[in-house]
Amino acid sequence: MSAPRLHWTRGRADEGGGEGRTLEWIGLDDAGAPIARVVRLRGPTLGDWRRHAAVPLDEEARIIELRPPAPAGAAWLAYIGGKVVGRAALPLQAVRTAEAALAGRGRP
Amino acid sequence: MAATPLERIRNIGITAHIDAGKTTTTERILYYTGVSHKIGEVHEGNTTTDYMEQERERGITITSAAVTCEWKNHRINIIDTPGHIDFNIEVNRSLRVLDGAVFIIEGVAGVQPQSETNWRLADRYNVPRIIFINKLDRTGADFYRAFDTLKEKLDIVALPLQLPIGIEDQFVGVVDLVEMKAIVWEGGELGAKYHDEPIPADLADKAKEYRQLLLDTALSVDDAAMEEYFEKGDVEVATLKRCIKAGAISGVFRPVLCGTAFKNKGVQPLLDAVLDYLPSPVDVPGISIAAEEGEEDGEHSDRRRIKADPSAPFAGLAFKIINDKYGTLTFVRVYAGTLKSGDMVQNTTKGHRERIGRMFQMHADKRAEIKEVSAGDIAAFVGLKDTQTGDTLASSDDPVVLERMAFPVPVIDISVEPKTKDAVEKMSLGLQKLAAEDPSLRLKTDQESGQTILSGMGELHLEIIIDRLRREYGVDCNIGAPQVAYRETISKPHTEVYTHKKQTGGSGQFAEVKIVFEPQERNAGITFENAVVGGSVPREYIPAVEKGIKVQAETGVLAGFPTVDFKYTLVDGKYHDVDSSALAFEIAAKACFREGMKKASPIILEPIMDVEVTTPQDHVGDVVGDINRRRGMIQNQESSGSTVIVRSHVPLKEMFGYISDLRSMTKGRASFTMQFHHYDPVPRNIADELVKKSA
Repeated sequence: MSAPRLHWTRGRADEGGGEGRTLEWIGLDDAGAPIARVVRLRGPTLGDWRRHAAVPLDEEARIIELRPPAPAGAAWLAYIGGKVVGRAALPLQAVRTAEAALAGRGRP
Repeated sequence: MAATPLERIRNIGITAHIDAGKTTTTERILYYTGVSHKIGEVHEGNTTTDYMEQERERGITITSAAVTCEWKNHRINIIDTPGHIDFNIEVNRSLRVLDGAVFIIEGVAGVQPQSETNWRLADRYNVPRIIFINKLDRTGADFYRAFDTLKEKLDIVALPLQLPIGIEDQFVGVVDLVEMKAIVWEGGELGAKYHDEPIPADLADKAKEYRQLLLDTALSVDDAAMEEYFEKGDVEVATLKRCIKAGAISGVFRPVLCGTAFKNKGVQPLLDAVLDYLPSPVDVPGISIAAEEGEEDGEHSDRRRIKADPSAPFAGLAFKIINDKYGTLTFVRVYAGTLKSGDMVQNTTKGHRERIGRMFQMHADKRAEIKEVSAGDIAAFVGLKDTQTGDTLASSDDPVVLERMAFPVPVIDISVEPKTKDAVEKMSLGLQKLAAEDPSLRLKTDQESGQTILSGMGELHLEIIIDRLRREYGVDCNIGAPQVAYRETISKPHTEVYTHKKQTGGSGQFAEVKIVFEPQERNAGITFENAVVGGSVPREYIPAVEKGIKVQAETGVLAGFPTVDFKYTLVDGKYHDVDSSALAFEIAAKACFREGMKKASPIILEPIMDVEVTTPQDHVGDVVGDINRRRGMIQNQESSGSTVIVRSHVPLKEMFGYISDLRSMTKGRASFTMQFHHYDPVPRNIADELVKKSA
């Protein structure tokens, strides 16, 4: 059974300097309802640390680290609903993981 | 030279371990781009870029050579670099001025030590690079094993853009994963003829798997490309190439291609990849200006950058100097502006002005005169009076100093003297010119014996220098046995107070210094801190203290070797209104160093080499036993077919003449490479011997 194809659209983006890379892709069904997400875990990260459960690494909290950190090679989390269904090193791999998980539980 | 638009210029280097095929690949590039009408071969001694007599005789590259070619309406300036570690300065300075590099990896051995060293150098200069796995026609070649060594040894995300079709003598072409087609070379025509065909059925699944890996990795650098993929289920070739180029420039991943240059397969797609994935001068952020005095290198990465712009004030970096019968040629990478013959520029490193005489575009040892150079070009200037490797030439409208070059530290010394007395002056002149060409060669005079001491990167390096002295300057020399470039340092802190007092009638000499000497970690160099408070040593005498220590550190207290890796802090002192002078403080600092160092537990350091021996399985025991006898530490052993690679750390002192011992022990079947790794304290018995010898 081939994995269902969702319509993927950009979610949140990196608000730091530069061109702002997408940190989240949202998978929509044919009706446009969000049913899956792939999200990039970041850490260590810079600034804006109050938003995260983060541990400052220096006295002025210029550098913080997310703990536990993203496992090596698995910086992207695939979610369906609010549940993590897998991890991957790259966003397209996480997308496939999410779509495969959907196929496994029957297309919504 | 300025006719080619900047975006159609590529300044690239070709670099690798010894014998991985750099010169062979360069030779094919020159043939396919129409620069040469026949292919030269290293083993026949007729390649374009190995033009020195020594290079042709020995079949190795000694000096980097610049050549220019045209491919698909682009100009490619190529620098072919040496593979032997003794000539690493050539790789260093080339990588410093290039916008991109092709790293050639051997298809049998994979990543070898010199590839690793050069890779780290390219990291230091942030050089975008693509990898070419070469020699896939060789017995024992394995693309996938060589590919795995990229990840293991270089710790990179290596991204295959091609897969081999066949291997060893069955290797016929490559699968192009970007366009999903096979490229197959036809016999004859020296590989100039090739055609596209469908991917062979037995490789279809593998190609599909690697194509998916390519898409997953490459598209992750570009959100718009991801969207295109989500929409269409694939992306246009142009989109994929754009993503690969972005990833290659940022270093997120490293594109990998393959082939066999010697058998003329795979070189044309490599040239296409140079155009598609390596940056033009406008694709890179530009060269940084140098750190301010006292500012650490690497600190403040937001330092101003000089962008490639032909209409901006001129800025260029002298990266190589050659002396030949016509005079001194200074190779310059132009980063900004435009310069014409006869223009004046400032040497901003040294603070004087230079007039540009004639300018040339170099093609190995041949030259074509040009009247103008612009941003993005590499050219050779004649007529510069006092410009050395690493100096910046800039317009007086914007007299910037560009980021400096780092040069390796010599590890081996030999003494030289001319065979006849009347050649003394000729030898001195020749050596000075050779040292001006080669910043990894140092000259000094032994204060006691009066002999000239040459310091270099290895036995081969110094052998070539002596040979060049004979051939190019007509000086035959007697040379002493090679000596290890030992260093001294201290192993515990000590505070010393020294008072220099002399009264010989008239005004006397008085100076007192209190200096704290502390050990520093290896390669930290010598650091000075002025912690004097209340003016106990007046400000005008501080430079004299620094000078005294600097001069005295050249002669260590144990055996007279240069002292390195220590910090000294001037904490206090005394002066006299009439009798104190800069000279008195310099003398006091020197004496304080001599006395203080003796009490700071001085030790002697020796260079330890990273040695890699490739030997047939039958001789592994002999090789390992011999390394142990040479005070070596085995790091690891790795089997590759019927050969074994033994890696170890061995003191340089024990490696002199190793090649002949290795050959006799293995009946000539083993080979080795070595490069400097670190300095370590010498064992007590050897230290005692060195001290005794120096007494």
